[in-house]
Order: sequence, then structure tokens, then C-alpha cells
Amino acid sequence: MEEKVKQTPGKIVLSIIMGIISVAWLYPIFMILINSLKTERSISTSTIFKLPTAESFNGIKNFAEALTSQGFAQAFGYSLVITVTSLVLILICCSMCAWYITRVDSILSKVVYYLFVFSMVVPFQMLMFTLSSTADRLNLDTPFKICIIYLGFGAGLAVFMFTGFMKTIPVELEEAAMIDGCDPLMTFFRIDLPVLKPTIISVAILEAMWLWNDYLLPYLVLDRKKYTTIPILIQYFKGSYGSVQMGPMMACILMTILPVIILYLAAQKYIIEGVVAGAVKG
Amino acid sequence: MKKKVLSALLSVAMVSSLLIGCGASEETTSAAPADDANAEETEAVDADVEFEAGEGQVYYLNFKPEQDEQWKALAASYTEQTGVPVTVVTAASGTYEETLAAEISKDEAPTLFQVNGPVGLANWADYCYDLTGSDIVSNLTSDAFALKNGDEISGVAYVIESYGIITNVELLEKAGYTVGDIQSFADLKKVAEDITARKDELGFAAFTSTGMDGSSDWRFKTHLANLPIYFEYQADGISDTQAIKGTYLDNYKQIFDLYINNSTCDPKELASKTGDDAENEFAEGKAVFFQNGSWEYGNLTGKGMTDEQLYMIPIYVGEGEESMQGLCTGTENYWCVNNEASDEDIASTLAFINWCVSSDEGTQAMSDMGFTIPFKDAKLAANVFISQDAAYTAAGKNPVSWNFTTMPSEEWKNGVGSALTAYAAGTGDWDAVVSAFVDGWASEKALAQ
Amino acid sequence: MEKAVKQYWPIFVLPTVAAFIIGFIYPFIQGVYLSFCQFSTIKKAKFVGLKNYQYALTDESFFHAFGYTLAFAVVSVILINVIAFLIALALTSKIKGANIYRTVFFMPNLIGGIVLGYIWKTLLDCFLSIIEQPLLALNEKWGFAGLVILMCWQQIGYMMIIYIAGLQSIDKAYLEAAMIDGANKVQTLFKVKIPNVMSSITICLFLTLTNGFKLFDQNLALTGGEPAHRSEMLALNIYDTFYARSGKQWKGYGQAKAVVFCILVIAISLIQLRATKSKEVQA
Repeated sequence: MEEKVKQTPGKIVLSIIMGIISVAWLYPIFMILINSLKTERSISTSTIFKLPTAESFNGIKNFAEALTSQGFAQAFGYSLVITVTSLVLILICCSMCAWYITRVDSILSKVVYYLFVFSMVVPFQMLMFTLSSTADRLNLDTPFKICIIYLGFGAGLAVFMFTGFMKTIPVELEEAAMIDGCDPLMTFFRIDLPVLKPTIISVAILEAMWLWNDYLLPYLVLDRKKYTTIPILIQYFKGSYGSVQMGPMMACILMTILPVIILYLAAQKYIIEGVVAGAVKG
Repeated sequence: MKKKVLSALLSVAMVSSLLIGCGASEETTSAAPADDANAEETEAVDADVEFEAGEGQVYYLNFKPEQDEQWKALAASYTEQTGVPVTVVTAASGTYEETLAAEISKDEAPTLFQVNGPVGLANWADYCYDLTGSDIVSNLTSDAFALKNGDEISGVAYVIESYGIITNVELLEKAGYTVGDIQSFADLKKVAEDITARKDELGFAAFTSTGMDGSSDWRFKTHLANLPIYFEYQADGISDTQAIKGTYLDNYKQIFDLYINNSTCDPKELASKTGDDAENEFAEGKAVFFQNGSWEYGNLTGKGMTDEQLYMIPIYVGEGEESMQGLCTGTENYWCVNNEASDEDIASTLAFINWCVSSDEGTQAMSDMGFTIPFKDAKLAANVFISQDAAYTAAGKNPVSWNFTTMPSEEWKNGVGSALTAYAAGTGDWDAVVSAFVDGWASEKALAQ
Repeated sequence: MEKAVKQYWPIFVLPTVAAFIIGFIYPFIQGVYLSFCQFSTIKKAKFVGLKNYQYALTDESFFHAFGYTLAFAVVSVILINVIAFLIALALTSKIKGANIYRTVFFMPNLIGGIVLGYIWKTLLDCFLSIIEQPLLALNEKWGFAGLVILMCWQQIGYMMIIYIAGLQSIDKAYLEAAMIDGANKVQTLFKVKIPNVMSSITICLFLTLTNGFKLFDQNLALTGGEPAHRSEMLALNIYDTFYARSGKQWKGYGQAKAVVFCILVIAISLIQLRATKSKEVQA
């Protein structure tokens, strides 16, 4: 398609300008890469922009340091566990809940729906203390159990988006299925779930971005004796007297964002569509 | 540094594997004076609670991220020997208070935490178990290291640190001086100004940059500010005050001026330097003097400096009997035991900390962490600054005590810090520093009431 | 059918609603209650009436944080939306490499707030030290600018995607009609394109505004509120009141501030939604 369009000089100039901006856009990521390869003493505040030289090149030592001493792999694993379990739980439970709310027209389901919408707006600071003490009392402080908290706190957006789409599914299909002897559960999984696929993808993407990057909730809720997540780990490169291990920190940041970027490049189509769909519903 | 950590880990592992054997036979022959560790442990339990050390557990919220790994290794070794679970959690730098606040309200709260002195204690006194009569207190080399709250002993210092002006002896000699030439503020000024005058010829400056961002400003707003407070307390014979007079602020100005006017960069640029920058300048031989403390040893040697290059001299400010002045030595790290923990946990925690500072393995680990511990069985840490501090004391010099633990609050320090930054940049005057120091002290102390 | 579905409520709604009660409703109600208490743990809460609100509403740092947040939200909303819209216009004008550029611009959005904060702190500190200006932690002006730059970097890509979708969904007939009528590019933009993507604009404004108001991670990692709380936004101010100050009174103050903050965010969301909804109808 694109090839057929005639490239006027104006368009070429515009394309070049966009190209320059894109390069600038990527610079911060490039900056992390070059500094993750430098030795500690060659990273000073004013030399961040300099490329590593033969003298300041440190090979992959910073990566090794970040992996061994700071428990990067563990934190990465916990972040992954939290994201995946919470995501699966949110997708299944919230789509079912949303279906019920749209199909059962009662005052109660309206109240529940508006409460979910309300929860989307409330800032986390409102709940941070009470939520973390509730979680502590119920022992929801492991990477597996924290998904219950995430289900509760992340339900707002998911339910809201699912109900938005659910309203457009014709009830007739379901009624036909029911008459054929399906119970509601089967109806939901056989009839609605397949139609919901695009919405599930967009909810999944929005929630996953939030779950993977969330800092304060796991920081306050998780049992700190045993578990850290990546956003928490990043803070441990600073000593008690303020000196920062810049090299390992940069290596850690790079290892954190690279998998996400690779995933994004691989699944770009879905992610961008998901965002658009999410925005239009939201 | 890396190597040392590794060897420490290896030795801990070896020792612990040896001790497992001992521990197993220990149960049947408990009357026999087994190894140090076990003996200490039974003693500690006898102290004031009748529970076995093995019943409770220890949760230590550690303050110093740089020793995180070593603490964890030590804890694991202790668990292997005694069966008492010890968990070490380290708070990220600058987040200790908030981590403690969050953790202490949990069901499994830390049993062992730390406060930074009387001001920190005021916030946490409700949670401090009275350590009076415990073994750890009786092992202290001096009562001065116990943190008292009325009649109770709420905390014990577990590490003593020193700071002063770290000097690159090699460069100083290149400039034609020795550390012996600097015995007073006047000497220091003369040397520093001479080096500045010949800066281009020598290729290095007198002082590292006086960076004023959060990673570096504590060197001036807290540690350097200790000196005028120290001399005022000395003159008035007090150890804390509601209203500081600021009698010695001119001395503070003198030394700060010396730092900023003789450093690697223009005073105006100081606000764009960090603590890491100063450390790198020093490690790369761009400056002779670097105000910092014994904790810097690992960082500096890690960046390639040798023991022979390093010497720490006192911070002279032109007050008191300067020839008798030693390094600034003290602590802002006190251990406290959580009184809301169960009796079993308290007993286990007491046993654990006592083991750390009295058993062979514990004291060795402390010394490997570079800590000088104020306990009778302490081993000397492998750190030239600490041996130099010991030498100063042996020569009869008087260490300057750490009085910044009585500074009213973080807010006060920040106020002084901002005023100093503005002063260095030339956008503010010294009066603002004085006002932040004196007036800020009174208002923040009043708030703390 | 409704009846049949109704019987299945324990399977369909119970898990989510139960989690919602644990994760939202109960902590929320408790939070409102605790804002009237002095407490260090929930068990030790003591009712003190409106004292916490009295403090919160007279606290200078809270007001400063409010003004700062407001200024930040306004500046970042305008910048992000204008730039994102311009880029979207450029990328929908069939230029070469549009897909690659779109990929690049969206990328920062995937990086979390804390990591973003550290990246930009490193970058900006280096930049500032080269131009011999005070570092972020000492520099109120640049601290603000830094937050704005960071948010632009993070969010422009996201908003751009929404605008591109909006622009692409405009009926070609409108654009052709405008061309036949002899409208120039600027006229087409204001008379045809913008009115037709009004719903995208609503969404983007809403998203950027709430993101700006609730900003926490980036603020914490980039400036940490320095110098001396001058770059502290509301969320961070509340967090600091809660956890960085120790003393019995502070948690109550923090909770009261949180309630005020919450009401504020809700009010803004409502006003904003209404304002843009009415515009949409006009267009």
C-alpha cells in the first residue's frame, strides 16, 4: 500500500524529520547500553554520554554482578509469576463477572458495576496503608497469593472494558445455546468467550503493563523477607552513604527492559490494537 | 572487594560445615564447653528469659545495603548451627524509616532493627525492648555505647565509624608535603592554597568537589556540621540542646570556604557534582583531600587505590587544642530489639546479636564487613582508616564525638544543605546558613516535642 | 435466561466481588474511617475527629504539592497531546517508514515508572553537569522540566496510537469533499480532522490528566521530591507523610490527605468527562 503513494518533497522532508526524532527517542535506551558496559570509575555524572573506550570497557562484568549479587534472576522470576498469575485470574474472573452484570439486570449488579467504575478513579495512596495491612492479616503476601489483591484492585478496569463489549453481543445467540441444553457456564465459555477474544487481548495488554511495572503495591504488600520484584530491586544499587553502583544498575535496567521490548516487537500488532481498543472502550 | 566477599563466603561455608558436626553432638554433651558459639548462646538465654534460643526466630531489618550479602551469609551460618531461623532484610538506601514503618505494623515484624541515635530513638522508643542486664550490654567496651532512654537501655551501638579528611599521601608528597606537616587548620589552609596555586603544574587539586546533591551533601550538612556543634557542646559542657547558639559557625565557614575554593572545580559547578564524582576524582588522583569516612575504604580500594596511598587526617577547623584533635569517631547505628515480638523471638534475637559480637565466627564476619565493633571480643577490621584511628587514640589524641545524632530532624539538615548550596553557588549568603542552622534548630526541636 | 444465569452467581461474580471487597471496598472504607483517627497500626487506632483534616488543610507542603501537581498536569496534558497529535498527523500522511516510527515512539510506554525515573535521572544529571547547572536534586526548575520530559517520552507514543486510530477512521468522503471545496491543509485540519477525532481527544485528555494527577513512581525515582519537598507531587507528599516521618500523628495526617486527594481526583474526572462529552455532542 505504502509503496504506491508518490513521495513528494514535502513528504520526504517530513519522513527525515520523523527519522531524526526517532533516533533521539531511542537515545535513552542506547545510553543505558553504553553505560552498562563501562567500568565503575569511568561513570561520572558528566561522562554518561561518552562511549566506552578500551580503557573504560568492562565487558559483561556488570551483568554478572547484577545477576549474582543482587538476585536479578529471582526478582525477575517473581515479577513474572505475579504478572502471569494475576493476569490469568483477572481475565477469567472479570470476564465472567462482567457477563453476569450485563445479563442480570438487577439493582445489585448496577451497584456493583458502578463500584467497579469508581475504583478505577481512586488513587492508590487512599488504600495503601489499609490494603497492605489487610493483605498482611490475610497472609496474602506471597507472589502467588498477591494475585487476589490484584484481582480486587485491577477488577475495575477489566470489568469496565468487558461490560462495554459484552453489551454488543446479541443475547439471542446465548438464548439459543441455553435452549439447546447448555448451562450458563457452558454458554459463556462456548459462545461468549470466543467472541470476546479481541477484548481479552486488549485487557490483557493493559493489565499486564500495569502488573509488570507496578512498584508500590508489591513493595508494601509482599513479604519482604523473601520476595522482591524488579522495580523494587532497582533501588538496591545505592549504598547507605549514597554511592550508586551505576554499571550494575544500568545492566539491570537493560535486562529488565529488553525482554519487554522483544516481546513488544514480536507482538506489536496485538499490542497496538489492544491499546486502541482499550482506549475506545475506556 | 569482590574477592574478599567470596573468601568470606567460602570461609563461612567451611566453618559452618564443620560446626554442623559439633551442633549434632552438642545436644548430648551440652555440659561440655563446646565451641564458642554454642557457649555464648546458652549464656545469653540464661540472661533474662527462660526460653530456649531454638524456639524463636530472628528478623533483622538491616540498614546498610553494602553489607547485605555478608549479613545473609552470617545469618545462614547461624541458622545451620543453632536451628534458629534468622532472616535478614535490607532496606534500600534512604528508605530505612519508611521500610521500618511499613514492616513493623505487620504480623511478622522485625525483631531486630536499628535507630540512628537519640533523635531516631524518640520515634521508635515505644518499640524498644529494655536491654538492661542482657549479655550484649555487658559485652560493650564502654557504657557510652549504650543508647539510654531514661533508665532503660534501648539500644546498643554495633559499629563505630570514623571520618576525617582522607588524604592521598602519594600526591601530597608530589606537592612537597607530608601528612606530618598538617597539624592544624592553618597548616591545612597553607597546603591547600599552595596546591591550588600550582594546580596546573601539579595536575591535581587540593580537594575533591564538594558535591551538594543527596549522595554527597551529608558530608557537609551533617558530618562537617558536627564540628561546630561538638565545640559548642564542649564549651557548654552539654550533650544536647534545644537552642544552638552557633558560636563556632565562623569555623564552619572557614573550612567550608577552604573546601569550595580549592577544589577540582569552580564553586558555581559544585551543585552539579555527586558523591560518586568526588570518589572518582579522588581514586583517579585528581585531588589530594577527600572528606569522608572509614566506610569509604572498600569503595576506594575497589577502584584501585592501595593502603599506602591512604591516610585519614582530622578535620581541623581552627578551634580547640588542634594538636590533640583526633578523627571524628562515633556511631549512628544502634541495634534495638522489638518489644512487641514474642518472648521466644526476643530471646532468640538477643542470643543472635550477642553471638555476632562475641563468637569467633561472628566477630570475624563483623571485621570482614569492615566494622569496628565496640565489644570486648572485637577483631580489628582490615581497614587502614580504622587502624589509623586506633593509632590516633593510642597517641593520646581526643576523638571528636558524633553529635549530629542530636540534630533535630532531616528537615533541619536539608535546610542547612540548601543554604550551603546556595552559598557555594554564590546565589545566597552565609547569613542564610547561620539562620538555617540556628533558627532552624530551634523550630525543628520545638516540633519534635 | 436471566433466571438461569442468576443461579450461577457464586461462580460468576463471587470470586471477583470477594477479591474486590478484600482489595478495594474494605480497605477503602477503613481508610475513610482511619482518616479520623490517630494510629500507627490499625489495632491501635484512636478516634480524634477532624484533627487530621485540620492539619492536612493547613499544611504548607500539601498546598505546594497541590499547586505543583496542578501545574504539572496542565503542562504535561497540553504538551503530550499536542505533540502526539502532530506526530499522528505526520505518520498518517503516508510518509516512508511510518510503521517503524510508530513502533519506536510507542516503545517507552512499556517501561515502568521507576525504571523510567532512573533512566532520566542519569541522563538529565549528565546533561545538567555538562551545562554546569545544579543537578536535578537541587534544581527546582529542572526537576519540573525533567518530570514533564519524562512523561512526554513515556506517554506520547500511547496517545499517538489513539490519535492515529482516530485519524484513520475518518471517512475518506469528508476529506475528499473538503478538497473539492478548495479547503487548504490548515482548514481541513481544523474543520474536518479535529472535529472528527473529538472522541479520541476526549479519551487522551482524560488519560493524560488522570495519569498526571496520580503520578507517583516517576516522581519518586526522578527527583524524590527534592530539593526540600519542592518537587513533590500530591501522591508522593502523601506517601512521605505516611512512611517517611515517624511519629504517631503522621499516619492520620497522611490518611486525611489521601482522602482529600481522592475527592480531588474524582471531582476532576467528573468535570473533565462532562466538559468533553458536551463538546463531543456539539461537534
